[in-house]
Amino acid sequence: MISTPLLMRYLVWPLVKFLVAFLIVQVIVAAMNWIERRALGLVQARLGPNRVGLWGLGQIIADPIKFILKEDIVPSSAEKIAYFLGPMLPLIPAFLVFCLIPFGPPPTFTVTRVNVALLLIIALTSTGVYGIILGGWASNNKYSLMGGLRSAAQMVSYEVPFGLSIVGVLMLCGSFDLVQIVRYQELNAWNFLPQIVACFIFLVSMNAENNRTPFDLPEAESELVAGYHTEYSAMKFAFFMLAEYSAMLVNCCLMVSLFFGGWTLAMGGKGLTTEVMQSMGIAGGVLGAVIFIAKVMFFMMLYVWFRATFPRFRFDQLMDLGWKWMIPLALANIFVTGIFVLVGQERLLYWIGIVTIALTAFYVMRPKAKRIHASRTSEA
Amino acid sequence: MQVEHPKPSWSEKFLVLDLLEGLKTTFREFFKPKVTIRYPEERLEPANRFRGMFRFSYDRCIACKLCAVACPIDIIYIDVHDEMREVDGKQKKLKVLDRYDIDVKRCMFCSLCEEACPTKPKSIWLTTKTYELATYDRNDLYFNMQQLEYWEHRPDITELPEEEPAPKRIAGGTK
Repeated sequence: MISTPLLMRYLVWPLVKFLVAFLIVQVIVAAMNWIERRALGLVQARLGPNRVGLWGLGQIIADPIKFILKEDIVPSSAEKIAYFLGPMLPLIPAFLVFCLIPFGPPPTFTVTRVNVALLLIIALTSTGVYGIILGGWASNNKYSLMGGLRSAAQMVSYEVPFGLSIVGVLMLCGSFDLVQIVRYQELNAWNFLPQIVACFIFLVSMNAENNRTPFDLPEAESELVAGYHTEYSAMKFAFFMLAEYSAMLVNCCLMVSLFFGGWTLAMGGKGLTTEVMQSMGIAGGVLGAVIFIAKVMFFMMLYVWFRATFPRFRFDQLMDLGWKWMIPLALANIFVTGIFVLVGQERLLYWIGIVTIALTAFYVMRPKAKRIHASRTSEA
Repeated sequence: MQVEHPKPSWSEKFLVLDLLEGLKTTFREFFKPKVTIRYPEERLEPANRFRGMFRFSYDRCIACKLCAVACPIDIIYIDVHDEMREVDGKQKKLKVLDRYDIDVKRCMFCSLCEEACPTKPKSIWLTTKTYELATYDRNDLYFNMQQLEYWEHRPDITELPEEEPAPKRIAGGTK
């Protein structure tokens, strides 16, 4: 018989923690649906869903109810087992990954702490493509199959820069453990400064991984009806949605943990560090979790912002960007970071980041886009 | 026609800074006031030339049936009888309007009836600002004289006559 403390430590507590994390994630995913539709509406000079409840917030509950109550239609020519498995498969890794993400200062706010958490997360998230391609194939529909194949090609291609962009961070921090990486960031600087190129590559490839808008070719509605989930309805469609938004959330959590200091608000050991939070007890932990989720929501909003702004790529352009630009850029970043780490001058990398951000800010804030405007009007 | 696009410079092609321009635009649009009119709560006031629901004036109408003749789809039904009446001390034959119905559900709001009307001011006109004509039963879109004149106080559906006789074709092209 297993002793009670052991049971508590290895079964009960992780389960409770996972359930809490799971519920928070579900609420965020459900809310994202409303947030995204509302934000897109506001950008497009309209209001978005505002009829159900205060500001349309009832939409968060109304949408799942609609999904549950709708008729579940299975095409008669579909491959039944694969058709059923299609929406289930991407859900499992998308939920499982939340066990490994540190939402707050350790040890309370992570379900399990694994020393190769990062590898495990990347391995798990990349299995999500199986469900998509299986669902696309099982629907027995040309558009669905096309969407599934596109998704597979795209996710495999962008898995490479996605993985390579993390290597620079690993070299700086010297650990696969997300907690360790966050600790490094609060003691030195948030990794987006020394790894600005990696951060950019990560941002682009996480958009591509999740089939989000500049790269949403698998579900390009103007070409493929709805891509791999054309034939899916009701709860099965909702599962695809759930998996997609969960995967987005996972990638945002990774982004925050790897490049933006996780649950801390500290750089160079000053500010709201893990030690400060731990000295505050459980309140500090909750504070850390709130900071983490706030940062994650910022990146979720970035997804929506990108969706509102950028038009879709052509498929060959997408592949070009992945293989001809992102991968060489990621390799170059690894090379440069390697040299600086080898020489022992990591500090110099910060300046690259600071200068890049300053120049970009200068470009955005400059009075008017004169040059572009002039070249556009001179042809008339 | 050949459209010449400005050739992107090396920096434009390599550092995709134009993307930031787009992001800036959408960010600005996010906070701009929206054009949506929240219909049941807010209503648009139509322009003065707007063609809305019919309005009919019994007092102005001289029962000449010109509107019924002008109607391209014959949806105006008019019944008239002659009556001897004393006007200025003389017995005079007058046309009296018995029925003036419009089958609005088939109407295309061309306003040819309004153009044909010889009275001044017009006794049938469409330049009202009513556009909320939806009903639950399409028979409710058959308007008689009183309804056309006083539709601002449109009776409830329950108050409408139970059995409406099938509209007989009296005036128009079929005679």
